Amino acid sequence: MAVIRDVMPAFDLLQPASAVDAQKLLETYGEDAWVMAGGMDSFDWLKDRIKKPQVLVDLSGVDELKGIRTSGDGVEIGAMTTLTEIAKDPTIRKNYGLLAEAVEHVASPQIRNQGTLGGNVSQDARCWYYRGGWPCYRAGGNECFADTPVGRNREHAIFGANRCVAVNPSDSAPALIALDAKFVIQTPKGERVVDAEDYFLGPEVDITRLHILKPGDLLTAIRIPSTWAGANFYFEKVRDRNVWDFPLMNVASAMKVSGGNIEDIRIAVNAVAPRPMRLTAVEAAVRGRPANATTGEMAGKLAVQGAIPLQFNAYKIPLMRNLVKRAIGGVQETTWTS
Amino acid sequence: MPAVELTKAESLKPIPFGTGYKLIGHDFSTNDLVAKVTGASRYAEDFRAEGMLFCRLVLSPMPHARVKRINADKALAMPGVKGILTPSEVPGHANYVNDNGTMIKADRFSELALADEPMYQGEPILAVAAVDELTCAEAIEKIEIEMEPLPFNTDPLDSLRPGSANAREEGNVWVPNPPPSRESQLAAVKWTDEDFAAEREGKLPMGHAPEEWSYGDLDAGFKNAALVLDETFSTEDVSHQCLEPRTTMAFWQNGKLYLYTGTQSTMQTVPAIARWMHMPEDKVVFISEYTGGGFGSKITGALTLVIPALLSKKLNAPVMMRVSREEEHFIGRARPGIRARTKVGFAKDGRITALDMFLVSDAGSYGSNGDGGACGQITSLLYQPPAMRWRNITVATNTLPRSAQSAPGGMQAIAIIEPILSKAARKLGVDQVALRRVNCPEGKAQYGPPGPGGKRAYVTSCYLKQALDEGAKQFNWSARVARPKQSGTKVRGVGVALSCYHGGTTGFDGLIVITPENRVRVYTGIGNLGTEAFVDVHRAAAEILNAPWSAVDIVWGDTSKNLPYSCHSGGSQTIHAMTRAGHAVALECAQRLKEVAAKSLGGQPVDYEVANLRVARKGGGAGMSFAEAAKAAIKLGGIYDGHDVNPAVNMYTKHSVAGHAGEGLVASATDNYPHDGDSFSFLACFAEVETDVETGKYHITDYMGYADVGTVIHPAALGGQVLGRSVLGMAHAIGQKWVIDPQYGITVAERFYTNKPPTILDVPVDMKWNALNIPDPETPVGARGCGEPPVGGGCAAITNALAEALGDNIFQRVPVNADTILTSYEAGRPMQNPFLAHI
Amino acid sequence: MDFITWATSPWGRTVPEHIAWGLIWVAVLFGLFFMVAHAVYVKVVVPRKVAHISPAEAARVPERVPRHSLAARLFHWIMAISMFTLLVTAFLPKVGVQFNWVLYHWIAGLVFTVSIIFHIVHSSFVLDFWAIWPDKTDIRDARSRVLRFFGKAAPAPRRFAKYPLENKLYHGAIVLAGLAVICTGLFMMKRVETPIFTRNPYLFSDMTWGLMYVLHGLAGVSLIGLIMMHVYMGIRPEKLPITKSMIFGWMSRDFYLEEHDPERWAVEGQPTAQSKRGLAASDAD
Repeated sequence: MAVIRDVMPAFDLLQPASAVDAQKLLETYGEDAWVMAGGMDSFDWLKDRIKKPQVLVDLSGVDELKGIRTSGDGVEIGAMTTLTEIAKDPTIRKNYGLLAEAVEHVASPQIRNQGTLGGNVSQDARCWYYRGGWPCYRAGGNECFADTPVGRNREHAIFGANRCVAVNPSDSAPALIALDAKFVIQTPKGERVVDAEDYFLGPEVDITRLHILKPGDLLTAIRIPSTWAGANFYFEKVRDRNVWDFPLMNVASAMKVSGGNIEDIRIAVNAVAPRPMRLTAVEAAVRGRPANATTGEMAGKLAVQGAIPLQFNAYKIPLMRNLVKRAIGGVQETTWTS
Repeated sequence: MPAVELTKAESLKPIPFGTGYKLIGHDFSTNDLVAKVTGASRYAEDFRAEGMLFCRLVLSPMPHARVKRINADKALAMPGVKGILTPSEVPGHANYVNDNGTMIKADRFSELALADEPMYQGEPILAVAAVDELTCAEAIEKIEIEMEPLPFNTDPLDSLRPGSANAREEGNVWVPNPPPSRESQLAAVKWTDEDFAAEREGKLPMGHAPEEWSYGDLDAGFKNAALVLDETFSTEDVSHQCLEPRTTMAFWQNGKLYLYTGTQSTMQTVPAIARWMHMPEDKVVFISEYTGGGFGSKITGALTLVIPALLSKKLNAPVMMRVSREEEHFIGRARPGIRARTKVGFAKDGRITALDMFLVSDAGSYGSNGDGGACGQITSLLYQPPAMRWRNITVATNTLPRSAQSAPGGMQAIAIIEPILSKAARKLGVDQVALRRVNCPEGKAQYGPPGPGGKRAYVTSCYLKQALDEGAKQFNWSARVARPKQSGTKVRGVGVALSCYHGGTTGFDGLIVITPENRVRVYTGIGNLGTEAFVDVHRAAAEILNAPWSAVDIVWGDTSKNLPYSCHSGGSQTIHAMTRAGHAVALECAQRLKEVAAKSLGGQPVDYEVANLRVARKGGGAGMSFAEAAKAAIKLGGIYDGHDVNPAVNMYTKHSVAGHAGEGLVASATDNYPHDGDSFSFLACFAEVETDVETGKYHITDYMGYADVGTVIHPAALGGQVLGRSVLGMAHAIGQKWVIDPQYGITVAERFYTNKPPTILDVPVDMKWNALNIPDPETPVGARGCGEPPVGGGCAAITNALAEALGDNIFQRVPVNADTILTSYEAGRPMQNPFLAHI
Repeated sequence: MDFITWATSPWGRTVPEHIAWGLIWVAVLFGLFFMVAHAVYVKVVVPRKVAHISPAEAARVPERVPRHSLAARLFHWIMAISMFTLLVTAFLPKVGVQFNWVLYHWIAGLVFTVSIIFHIVHSSFVLDFWAIWPDKTDIRDARSRVLRFFGKAAPAPRRFAKYPLENKLYHGAIVLAGLAVICTGLFMMKRVETPIFTRNPYLFSDMTWGLMYVLHGLAGVSLIGLIMMHVYMGIRPEKLPITKSMIFGWMSRDFYLEEHDPERWAVEGQPTAQSKRGLAASDAD
C-alpha cells in the first residue's frame, strides 16, 4: 500500500457543548475516538494520515473547560484554556509566575493563541521516527529506530529509556509539577484527581502513551494549590531556535527560602526522559541548605547521576547539570553595560 | 551617468545613494507590493479552472530501488478517481534545440518527473488525479507498488570507503570528461584504508580526487609562511525551503498548454517546459506573476511541473498539483554540503602565502554539481592567495537532488576559509579586520587557474577594501574588540568575514511600448520571485526616458502578453543584466521618439530631447506628448510600431515585438555594451554573538553588511537583499540542517520545525547594512547584483564571532548549536564528528 | 481472524510485527478445552487399572523409589518459576495489566535460558538422556492402546518406563517451544536496554525480525497452553505422586509398580538390562 501524507482523512466531527457530553462521546467511541483540544498536535497526526480515527471529538465548543477560576485554595485552570490566556492572567502572573513563564516559552505566539494547557500537557512525543510513521515501539511495533548504532537521537532521552527513547516535550508540565498541581480527569467511573507527576507515564508502563488518559477519559481541569503561591520560581528552556521550537531541555523549580536557606523545594525537568522528571533526590538533598551557587552546583551533579547518553545527546548531561544548578543557585548575571 | 576611472579606485569614497539621479538610488513602492500586502496577488495555487481535477504524488519510500510492478486497479475503480500517471508516460531523455538555436544534449543521468528507478527517498514515482485531494489520498493508499531495493549510500565520505555501496549502478563519483567536454561520467572510486587513517585524528582523509587545478608556487608559499594551518571543516546540506512549494496548475486549450507555477524566469521557463514536454515552444503559455521564493531552485520552474500538464492532456481536464510541505522538502532541491581540508600558509602580517584546498562535495542523486568548482574559484578570488591548489571529488549519494542555492560554492568557500583566517589572526596576533584587509581583492582582481591561453580571469572592479574600512567604522569594530569578553556565564565575540559572488551577466533584451494613452509600458520576462529586482531594473529605463515613475507600467508574468527575452532572476544577475538591457532599450526608445518627432514636427532627431512624457525640441519649441508620438508611430508603422523589429534582438523578443505591432511606439534593444571582466559583488560582514557557556545557547546580538555592489538602484530592496541573504547565511551557521537515518536512507526531518530554518527572533532586531554606491565601470548604470554575495559572509561572520568568544577548538562543522558548544567547551576540543552526514 | 499483526516498514513494505494478541485467548481456551476433555476422558472412558503385582516383585523394590535427583528438581522448579514469570510478564500487559514488564521478562528469560542449558548438559552427561524420548516400545504400545480403544485385537500394552509416552510427547513440545523462545528471545535482547548487549536492531532484516517476533509469540502462546496442561496434569489426583516426586524426589513403591515397568525403568539397586539407546532400544531402564 502506497503512503501519502498531508491529506487529512475523513472522520465524523463531533462537537459537544458540555464536558459531560464530551466524556460520554469519548466513552462511547473508545479507541475509535480522537480527542482534540487546540489541534496543534492532532492536526499533525491527522494530516499525515498516521492516525485515522473514526470520530474526532472537538472540545473547542465546551466553554466550561475554558477559563481560570480562583478558589479558596489556589486556582483551577480549565483544560481548554489557551496558553496565551494563562500567560496573560494577572493571578497566574502574580502568584504562579512559574507557569506563566513556562507557557510563554511554548512554540510561537500563534500556536499559544490556539494551543491549550490540557493539550500541552497531553501532547504526544516528537521523536521524528515515531512522528514519521515508523513502526516503532511507541507506534505498537518492536523496535526503537532512534537508539540504534546509527540512529539520530540528538533530542532524545538520557533518563528513563525503556525500549523507547523519546522524550516528553511539554514546557508546562515541569512547571505544573513544581507547583504541585492536580489534574482533574473525568472517567467513565467518575472524577479522578491525580498529582501532576502521576499524570505522566513512562514506556516501562505503557509505551504507547505519555499520560494516563485511557479511551473514555477526559482531562477537564488543572488545579494549582496555593501552597507554592509567590514562592521563588525559576524556569528556563533551552531550544535551538528562539521561537517555534520544542525544548532541548527545560527546568522548573519552586523554592521557599527562609533566612537564605531552602525551606522547601519542588523541581522538575523535561525533555530528558519519556516523562517529566521530578527530581526528588535533589529536593531532599538541598532542603535546609543555603540557596546559593554551591548548593546549586551540588544539586546539578546529583541530578545527572545515572544518566545514560545516546550517540548524539551527551550534551544533555552538562545541560541538565547546569540548568538544575541555575534553578537552585541562580544565574551568574553579566555585568557589562555596553 | 557618472563614470569612474578604475585607477582612482583606492581614493574612491562612498557616494550618497541617488546622487545625480531622479529615480535610481531612491526608494519607491514596487508595482507588486500592494497586491502582496493585501493578499490580492495570485500564486499558482490560487488559480482555478472549470472542471479542474487535483493530483497528488506517490513518493518513493526507498532511497534507491526499482519499481517492479504497480497495481492501481483498486484505486482506479474508486468513484472520483480519474487516472494515474506512471513513469513510462513521462517524456524521456532526448536532445532538444530551443528557439535560440541552442542544442541541449540529452543527459541520461538526469532525472525525470517520475522515476521508475528512484534515486532518493521522496522521489516521485507515480501521480494520481481525482476530483479532490482526499479521493487522491484514499486512492493512493489502495495502490500496490512492488519495489526492489537497490544498494544505496547517503553519506559521501562513507561512499568512498573500501567496499561501501555506490549511490548509482554506474558508480559513486563524477569524473570530468577530458576537455573541451564539460560533461562528467560516473565512475566507481574507492579510497584505501590508509587514505582513511587521517580520519582518526579528526582530519578529512584525502584520497584520489579526479578534479584538480593549481597556480603559483605552492611549496614556496608554505615554506615561507610564518604560520601554516591544516584545518578540516564541513558545511551542511541545506534545503531551499521556499515558502511557496512547487505547486502547478495546467490545462490545454486549442492545442496550447497553459501552465501556472512559481519560477525565477517567466520567459526562460517556456523553453524548459517545451523541452521537458517534448513540444514546440509556441504551444506553451506560461503564467507566473508571483513566486514565493526560489533561491536558485526554480530558475526555470521545476521538472515536476510536467506532471499536471501530462495528466491534464491525458484526462482532458485542468489539473492542479498542490505540493505539500513534505513533498516540497523532497523535490525542492538543496545546497550540497562540502567536507573540506584546507592547508593555508600565512605571513606574519596575515597575508596568505599559499592555500591548498581539498573538497569532498556531495552532488546528491542527480547531476554532477557538488558546488566544489565554484568553491575553489571564490576562494581564489576573495582571499587572493598567490599560490593555490584545488582538488575536488564530487560524490553521488542517494539524497535529494542538489541545485544552485544562493551563492552556490561561494557560500561554502567562505564558511570553510573564514574560520581559518580567524584562527590565524589570533595565532599571529593580527587584528581580524587587518588580516582580511591584506588579503582583500581589489580593482580588477584575478581569480581561478590560468585559462587555456595562460591568462587568469578577472573581475570588472572591486572596492572591497573600502567596504571593509567603512563597515568596520560603522560597526565600531575597534571599540567592540576592546570590550571585556566574559561576564557571568556569558562570553561574547565579534567576527568579520569577507563575502562575494557573481554579480551579473550580459546580453538580454528590453522591450518598451509607448502607448497612445501616454503610458510607458515596460515588458519584462524576469521572474518575480519576491526580490523586487524585476521592477527595480526598469528604473534605469525610466531614468533615461526622464519619465515620471507614475507613468510607467510594468507588464510581467504571462507569456501570452508577449514578453522579451530576459535574464532569469537568479545568479545575482538581474540588477546588472537588466539595467543594461533597460538602458539599451530606453536609449533605443528615446531615439525612436526623437525620430518620430522629427518626422512629425520637422528637424533632425538630434534636435529633440525626451523628458516628462514629451519629446520636444531642445531649448523649447515644438514637441509632442508620448501619446501623440505613439499615435504617430502607429501611423509610421515599420520599425516604429513593431511591424519591423530591431534585428539585433533575440528570437523570443522578435516574436513578442510582432505581438505588440501596432500598439504604439514599440522599441526593443539588446544589451551589447562592452564588458571586459566578470561581474562580482562584494561585502564585508560583521557580527557579534553572546554565548551562555552553561547552556550552549548563543544569540546574534548585532550584524552589519557593507556592500560593494556598484550603483544602488533601490536602497530598500538592496537592504532587503543584503540582510535577507545574510540571514540565509546565518541559517547555515545557527541551525538549518538535514537529518537522515543512514540505515534506511530516509529523511526524518522534513518539516520546518525539524529542519529549523531561522525565525525572525533568531536574528538581531536592528541589523544594519550599507553600500559604497561606487558605480561599476564596466556597466552603463554601474549596478551589480546582490542576491547571493551576502550569504557566505552571513554565515562566517557568525562562526568567526563564535570562535572569538569560545576559542578555536569548538566546532569543525556548521551548523553550530547548543550541543556542539556544551560538549566541546567543557572538553576543550571539538567533540562533534566533523564528517558524519546529516546528523 | 488474522494470526499475525502486520506493520509497514520504513521502506513501505508489509512485514510481520508480532502474533495477533487474540491468540493468547485461543491458547487459554485450548488449555481449558484440554482439561475438560481429559477430565471427561478419564472419568468416562479410561478403565480403572488393576495392578497385578507379585509380592516377589514388590520385595525387589525399595519402599521409596528415587525418581528425580535434587539437581533435577532444582532445575525444574527454577525453570518453572522463570517460565511462569515469563508468561506473566509477556502476556498480562497484552491484556491490559500495565507494569514494568520488560526488565523482569528478560531477566526471567536469562534464568530460563541458563536453566535449560544446565538441563541439557545435566541430562546429557549425568542423567539418562534417552529416558525422555519415545522408543519403539512406546510406539508399539501406543498403537496397541489405540487399537484396543476402538475394540480391535491388540497385545496388551506394557507399563511405562520412567516417563509415560504422553509425558515424553509433552516434553518434546516443550523443547520445541522452549528452544524457540530462547533462540528468538536472546536475539530480541539486542533490541531492549540490558547491561549485556549494545542495542542493535539491525542484525537482521525487517522481515527476519518480524518472523522472529512471530515465532517468539507463537512459541509463547503455545507455552500458555502447554503450561496449563502441565499444571492440570500436575494436580490431577492420579498424577499427584509424580508431582510429589518432583518435590521430594521419590515415589512410592506401589505407585511405581502400578505405573511403571521395572523392566523398562529399573530402580536403584535393581539389576538393569544392558540397553541400546534410542528408538532401536526396548527402553528397559
